Amino acid sequence: MTAPPRFAVVGHPNKGKSSIVATLAQNDGIAIALEPGTTRDSHRYPLSVDGHVLYELIDTPGFQRPRRVLAWLQAHSASASDRPETVRAFVTQHRDDPRFHDECELLTPILEGAGILYVVDGAVPYSPEQEAEMEILRWTGRPSLALINRIGDGDHLADWRAALGQYFQIVRDFDAVNAPFDTHLSLLRGFGQLAPDWEGPLEEAANHLRDQRHHRQHRALALIAEALADMLTHAESARFGEHDNRDALEHDLARRWRDRQRQREQSLRRDVEALYRHRHLHRREQALDWEPGQDLFSDQARRAWGVSRTYLATAGFGAGALGGAGIDALAAGHSLGTGALIGGVLGAAGSLYYGGKYADKLGALKLLAPLAGGGRRAEFGPVRDPQFGYVVLGRALEHWFQVSHRNHAGRAPLTLDHGDRHWLEQLPRADRQRLQKALQNPPRHPSDGKRRQALEQAVENAGGAFLQWRSGNEDSE
Amino acid sequence: MSSSPLRLLLDFDAQYRRDRDQTPAFLHRRDRRLALVREQAGATPPSLAEWLHAVGNGRHDTTSLRRWRRLNGGLLLAGGVLGVLTMLGLLYVTGPARINVTLFLALVLMQLLLALATTGQALVGWRPWGGLLGRGGPEQGAPALRQLQPQLAARAAQTGGLAFAVTALLTLLAQILVRDLAFGWSTTLQTSAPAYHRLVETLAWPWRGWLPGAVPGLELVAQSRYFRLESGAPADPALLGGWWPFLVMTWLTYVVMPRLALLLLAQAHLRRRARRLLRDHPGVAALRERFATPWVDSGDEAPAATPLTTPAAAPAPPPPADTGTLIRWAGAGDGDLVRHLVGEVPILDAGGAATLEQDRDTLNRADGGRPVVILVRAWEPPTGDLADFLDDARAHWGPATPILLQPLATDDQALAPWQRFLARRQDPALQLCPPLAPDREAATP
Repeated sequence: MTAPPRFAVVGHPNKGKSSIVATLAQNDGIAIALEPGTTRDSHRYPLSVDGHVLYELIDTPGFQRPRRVLAWLQAHSASASDRPETVRAFVTQHRDDPRFHDECELLTPILEGAGILYVVDGAVPYSPEQEAEMEILRWTGRPSLALINRIGDGDHLADWRAALGQYFQIVRDFDAVNAPFDTHLSLLRGFGQLAPDWEGPLEEAANHLRDQRHHRQHRALALIAEALADMLTHAESARFGEHDNRDALEHDLARRWRDRQRQREQSLRRDVEALYRHRHLHRREQALDWEPGQDLFSDQARRAWGVSRTYLATAGFGAGALGGAGIDALAAGHSLGTGALIGGVLGAAGSLYYGGKYADKLGALKLLAPLAGGGRRAEFGPVRDPQFGYVVLGRALEHWFQVSHRNHAGRAPLTLDHGDRHWLEQLPRADRQRLQKALQNPPRHPSDGKRRQALEQAVENAGGAFLQWRSGNEDSE
Repeated sequence: MSSSPLRLLLDFDAQYRRDRDQTPAFLHRRDRRLALVREQAGATPPSLAEWLHAVGNGRHDTTSLRRWRRLNGGLLLAGGVLGVLTMLGLLYVTGPARINVTLFLALVLMQLLLALATTGQALVGWRPWGGLLGRGGPEQGAPALRQLQPQLAARAAQTGGLAFAVTALLTLLAQILVRDLAFGWSTTLQTSAPAYHRLVETLAWPWRGWLPGAVPGLELVAQSRYFRLESGAPADPALLGGWWPFLVMTWLTYVVMPRLALLLLAQAHLRRRARRLLRDHPGVAALRERFATPWVDSGDEAPAATPLTTPAAAPAPPPPADTGTLIRWAGAGDGDLVRHLVGEVPILDAGGAATLEQDRDTLNRADGGRPVVILVRAWEPPTGDLADFLDDARAHWGPATPILLQPLATDDQALAPWQRFLARRQDPALQLCPPLAPDREAATP
């Protein structure tokens, strides 16, 4: 069995080597700007599928003393044919020398057969000072690829391409922070072009990563559907004694109910981030502030992610008609569509009634059956306003979209602002009605398979529409 | 390994709830590995029971079901005791002389209706007694059991009912054995003996073909009619005892057998419902997906690097007026910027594209008797090359020569590596100047 391809990511300090490894290894724990000059060891990041390693990325320290290394090599080489051997001799000679620790660390995997991924920053002008590094790498005789990362706003790609082309077989641009996922896969396939034996494993790896992404999308939308079901059906209850103040109890239960909804929304955020392996994400979300006018229950959130009364009425009509059509089907069509019409009118009326004031219609205290030992059971929730489901769903989809499209090299906090609510326009009419119906009839318990599947399907469709809408927005920007 | 659907459902649900605290990565890795082991052995992915055995080490959460078992036991006992008491009551209380068959049949009918009502209630999932089992009920801690409440309650009720039916029957037989029971029939309704006989014959339909002795004849029916206000002994007391085979068979056929059948139905319904709940359980689809999806590990579980601490910034002096030499490190800064900074002083180059020979020449040409300013790009962190140059400079100029690093930077953030660099060098004559905006420097990040 042949060893899997390995790639040493090398370069000048602070040019984004780690950011490239972080993005490709999907590890946001890798320091992006570790301080050069501190002792660093190489770190290996294998990509394995069911325990079988397909390739390995090796994050290495940057060059510290390339001019001295090159001077040593030139002094100890007799001809071009002994260059790889001379580089090996340098590492052997200086393995215990602290001054050349970083060079030995970065050259060792290359001498052991790794391909070279040389990283430069295309945002700064080309400078001949890095030529010593490139020359040393050329001396190793290993297959190599240069990656032009862009850390800042400057654009000197053309100069870098021209210069790097003289030293490396392939030169690629790759923005580790902003490159879309398809570009990651394309880059991996590019690594496979460095040697004939490497093409197969890298192609296989790219296919697995693509499948993994589809799988994650499916799981993330299922998580959103689960959270929606929890939040739409949650109720807080307490004992209401004869001498208790009803308003105080309602206020207390409403507060508990809202806190619980916020916590559930936050746990969904964490679950989605964990699914996409963002474990060090700093999130700036308006709900975190929990200030009046800023959070999940604010009118601002409703305006951003809720839907209009007209929409509610039309989607409510459609959802009601879906239910009514069931009656028609049961009556084998003899009701001549009356069921659908009645269902539609009832659905629209219900949606309009509950679609008025957002915060006021979220829930109200209900007094239920008397309890043993005195008093009655008081309950706040489940939510009555159909807007709430759209607000939670819109916020969750926005968060999911941002997390799923965020590279692991990203360090800026994730900012979840309110967005444009027109994402629903991407959803076909029939799917809107299914969504409305699913939000009106969420599963009451985890084993309510039929409703759960309906909600999961509706959220899956909504996710597809949201993705399309966001992609369209990004293209037009 | 558990094979009961109910047991399987409870164990699966308990494991599912435990797994919610695990990371998705761990769950995927664990389950995919189990599927692969089976695949390598040429088998299909593990069944739920096998999976539970593998991940839960055969652990069962019996607490919640134990409470239902206790309820079952209680109802069994209560049913048994009530069966004895009810039958004794019927045999003793209805009259010292004759036991009214009509009352007996009414009890049979009531038992049958109760049994059917219990089953119907379970089939439609109605829980009129739900409040009793609400909070703190037997299924507390096992949410899956809540969905099975109607079926579990039906099973418990049918168990109690069967115990009632059996002990009542045994009591009846015992009484027949030890006492001379006289049965008669009485009703306020205007019913003739032949009509009553037809009713009795209809009731005896299941056994009249093979047990004719348990079907009362018209003569017995006619002779055993009595009226409450009627006085006097019946025609033939021995004849009145002839009802008992019919009554025993009626009880057996219309109370015991239906209860038994409905208990079996309740059991089957419970199993079917548990199987369906398990099939629709949200964890099952996710588990199957984990079995089938390859586990892709991209090295994302490597530990995060620890952020470095930045020492408190030392006082930053501006370049002194008596600067003797300015050295541009690795091509930092252009001529105008440098002149604006320190005035007319010699400007030399080192580092970057310069050779090591040129660095040495720069050290020789610099005025080591006066402060030396080294211009550096702050966004290019200090490398070993610069450290070597500073070592050589210190050796060349002596320990007292002030060396000032003048960073070009647009913000203070880029200075942290430089502050740490200075802290590591522990050179009191080496200082970092306040950053200078690289106005003409094209290469600012």
